[in-house]
Amino acid sequence: MMLRVICGHVQEDFRVPDDILISVIDDDESLCLAMVGLIRSFGYRASGHGSAEAFLRSGEMARARCIVTDIHMAGLNGLELKQLLDEQECHVPVIMMTARTEEALLMRARESGALCLLQKPFPADALIGWIDKALAT
Amino acid sequence: MIRSAPERPEDILDLVTESVIVRGLDGRIRLWNDMSETIYGWRRENALGRPLHGLLHSHHPLTIAGIESLLAEKGVWEGELTRSTADGREVRIETRWIMRRDDHGRPVDIVETGRDMTHFPELELETRLNTHRYRNLFQAMAASFWELDFSLVRRMIEDLVNDGVRDLRAYLAAHPDFIRRAMAATHVIDVNEKTVQLFGAQGRAQLRGMNVAPFWPCASEYIYAQALVAAFESRPHYIAETKVATLDGREIDVIFTVCWPTEHKGRGSVLVGIIDISEQVAARAALERIRAELAHAARVSILGELVASIAHEVNQPLAAIATNGEAGLRWLARPEPDVEEVRMLTGRMVADARRAADIIARIRGMAAKRAPEPTLMSLNGLIEEAMLFLRHERQAHDVALTLDLAPDLPPLRADRTQVQQVVVNLAVNAMQAMNQAGSPERALKVRTRPAGPATLLCEMEDSGPGIPPDHLERLFDSFFTTKESGLGIGLSICRSIIEAHGGEIRAANLPGGACFSFTLPAGPAPADHAAIVE
Ligand SMILES: Nc1ncnc2c1ncn2[C@@H]1O[C@H](COP(=O)(O)OP(=O)(O)O)[C@@H](O)[C@H]1O
Ligand SMILES: [Mg+2]
Repeated sequence: MMLRVICGHVQEDFRVPDDILISVIDDDESLCLAMVGLIRSFGYRASGHGSAEAFLRSGEMARARCIVTDIHMAGLNGLELKQLLDEQECHVPVIMMTARTEEALLMRARESGALCLLQKPFPADALIGWIDKALAT
Repeated sequence: MIRSAPERPEDILDLVTESVIVRGLDGRIRLWNDMSETIYGWRRENALGRPLHGLLHSHHPLTIAGIESLLAEKGVWEGELTRSTADGREVRIETRWIMRRDDHGRPVDIVETGRDMTHFPELELETRLNTHRYRNLFQAMAASFWELDFSLVRRMIEDLVNDGVRDLRAYLAAHPDFIRRAMAATHVIDVNEKTVQLFGAQGRAQLRGMNVAPFWPCASEYIYAQALVAAFESRPHYIAETKVATLDGREIDVIFTVCWPTEHKGRGSVLVGIIDISEQVAARAALERIRAELAHAARVSILGELVASIAHEVNQPLAAIATNGEAGLRWLARPEPDVEEVRMLTGRMVADARRAADIIARIRGMAAKRAPEPTLMSLNGLIEEAMLFLRHERQAHDVALTLDLAPDLPPLRADRTQVQQVVVNLAVNAMQAMNQAGSPERALKVRTRPAGPATLLCEMEDSGPGIPPDHLERLFDSFFTTKESGLGIGLSICRSIIEAHGGEIRAANLPGGACFSFTLPAGPAPADHAAIVE
């Protein structure tokens, strides 16, 4: 994925820290790309992964400051990923997303220890708001 | 022997080697020729004026009254009678009766010819008897009958055999022109009245001597060919459903049978029977149409089940568009707008919008959700019906079906159309999988059995390629398909139907194929009449 590093003239309304890496995991390719683009437009570095397994392989687990993941994915799903992170004592804040509406699923997401659960489609401000919160912890 | 010229016209009858008797409608003898004297032993002067059947004690299994009423109806009767002679001997008489009528069609008298068969060898007698039976049947049946001269065709086939042809089927496949030549060499000896009527002919005379080629439309040629093969393989008869052409240019659906009666072999003639079934075929076609419409209606209504997963599918590209749009706005809001970035984002938005439009195009026209209507029914019966629906597909794909249905299964409580749709979907998938993989042996097994006190299980096994392990968990996702023109919604519909009924559906691999199974709840026992009332 082409990553353009924003540097030089720093605008005051831009939170520049492009050393802050945010990992996006979604098996829907275009949505994953869109989210990476959105996060970058806010001045963070972002990288996208098509599955939880791909994310784990990438070695970003140690560097990411926040993980934004879809719940419903082939292979390891978002809830299972969160559980795995907990087991490995990785305390990176996790923002979960889903397009599903089943109450039981939403409950389980809330109980998983994720920072928050966003229901797709959500406004960009909501995502950025939560990312800001994640980075503040 | 030379005789003097006869004085009365009747005297000619004395030259005839058969008994000729004329009787009035009252049964009294009016004419009695020399041969009658010889056979029955009564002199003319003693016979004239006496009631014929009383004098000769005529006997027939159908009773004399029975055959006289047949005669009154048809005008002719042929058969075999037992009679007594003047000196009390019993004789068997082969006889033919004709009712003569006046110009107004009123019966006048009955002419009888007879031959003494008493001393004919039994076997020949039997043959003659059959001939009578056959002749009466031939005319009287409501089916179209043909006696055809097949001797030329027999010779053509013998020539082939002498030339070394052993497999006529293969030969005909390679030389289709032989079929038309054989038709042109098959001639009509005789037909019955029904044939004249069915084939729009002027009369029997028009058909006699014709060859049969005009009656066979091209599309039915293979039936004639198969009949040839049956003859070649010495099978006693052949039967098939086909279309034949009439003389007035119609094509009618018929059952066609041909047999090679042993007593006709020497003469090289064959018997063909044709039964008009066009009405039945029309009714069947109407049923097929209704079935297709029902299946379509069922499919459409089940799509309602899909609304949730469709919403999910459409949501994804919409969310991507919104997200890209927001990112684009952010880039544009910079003091130095990054046009390159925005162009890239806009490109993605267009692609996502197309994707959403594609999904919507796929579901366009689908009907609104229909509430399931659970009733009590037999799962086995439902499966048998579904398999009947798929008869054509099964035959087209050459799939052998085995039903292993548990007897005494408790009734199922479910929406009939929906469950049927599940069974049909699974079976169609199995047939497509076996077809796609070119499986040489195509077997579909459907099994039912109880699974627990209030649960029914249905398993459907195929001998196809099975399912790659990494597909197993995605199979039931909507729009997952490995087929070029697949919609990928069949299994997701199945799952939503089964789950809505409180059951489960699973896919697994067997050593030689795939196995899909589902469970459904059993209804109350059949004794519960209140529940059965719909
Ligand atoms: N009996 C089977 N054997 C092997 N693969 C199957 C079988 N049934 C379904 N599948 C797989 O599941 C996919 C999804 O099936 P379905 O939901 O009916 O959609 P579609 O019929 O459009 O392919 C198929 O494309 C095929 O890959
Ligand atoms: Mg299908």
